[in-house]
Amino acid sequence: MADSPVQFPEPASRGWPAPASASDAAYLSYRTDLSPVRALVLSRARAAGLPEDRVTDLVLAVSEVAANTLRHTRSAGTLTVWHDADEIVCEVHDAGIITDPRAGQVKPGLDAPGGHGLWLVNQVCDRVELTSGADGTTVRMRMTLPPARARG
Amino acid sequence: MDLLTTSVATVESAGEPYTLVELVGEADVTNSDALRDVLDAEVAKEPRTLIIDLSGLRFMDSSALHVILRANRAMDRLGGVLSLAGPREPVAKMLRLTAADQLVPVYPTVSEASAG
Repeated sequence: MADSPVQFPEPASRGWPAPASASDAAYLSYRTDLSPVRALVLSRARAAGLPEDRVTDLVLAVSEVAANTLRHTRSAGTLTVWHDADEIVCEVHDAGIITDPRAGQVKPGLDAPGGHGLWLVNQVCDRVELTSGADGTTVRMRMTLPPARARG
Repeated sequence: MDLLTTSVATVESAGEPYTLVELVGEADVTNSDALRDVLDAEVAKEPRTLIIDLSGLRFMDSSALHVILRANRAMDRLGGVLSLAGPREPVAKMLRLTAADQLVPVYPTVSEASAG
């Protein structure tokens, strides 16, 4: 194990809190139960007009990242969800430190005990940004929304 | 109510009896240890056929999938067959994405799974 975390490239859009131009952000802290995490993503993604099959993808992605919080840290994680006209963003932050900059880029064998979560996240999301350092790990998962006139 | 409930039955079908494990709710990292214990206990009885009914499962994450694939390997070693029945879309998508559906037979219903 490395003594110090690897420096990841900082996502260009990284900012806290959510951009002021976005619709009201929803915020949730979780520690032991991931069902509320999935429920919040589901309701916000549907309300934002994301197609149902992509809602399923986003719920899966966020749940996998939040599961890593429970596996690798002893403290609570936070989920923030917001959207603007173009995209919906789910940001998960926790105290964990990821030392492999290629985490999630390579498909693990099905027999591997772990590592599927981040790989799945990269498969189902339109864009994923990951930063990890001394202040923990932040993963932003983005889904492009259909044009407003195309929404049901 | 628990996030995930499991029930186990031995079903006497027209052919061979089989073990049916029914999962209802959401299967994730918070209950995958309990799921592993249930499946381990059934695999240890060395049934010829173990069917996991997924039709009541609203969600399955990679932890739960890992536990199921582990049971599948154990059944293989013992010369039995594990199959999955009735996955709904979030669960079916997980099986497709990971290609787990290439490793484990997946059927639309339990009766089709029991017919092999």
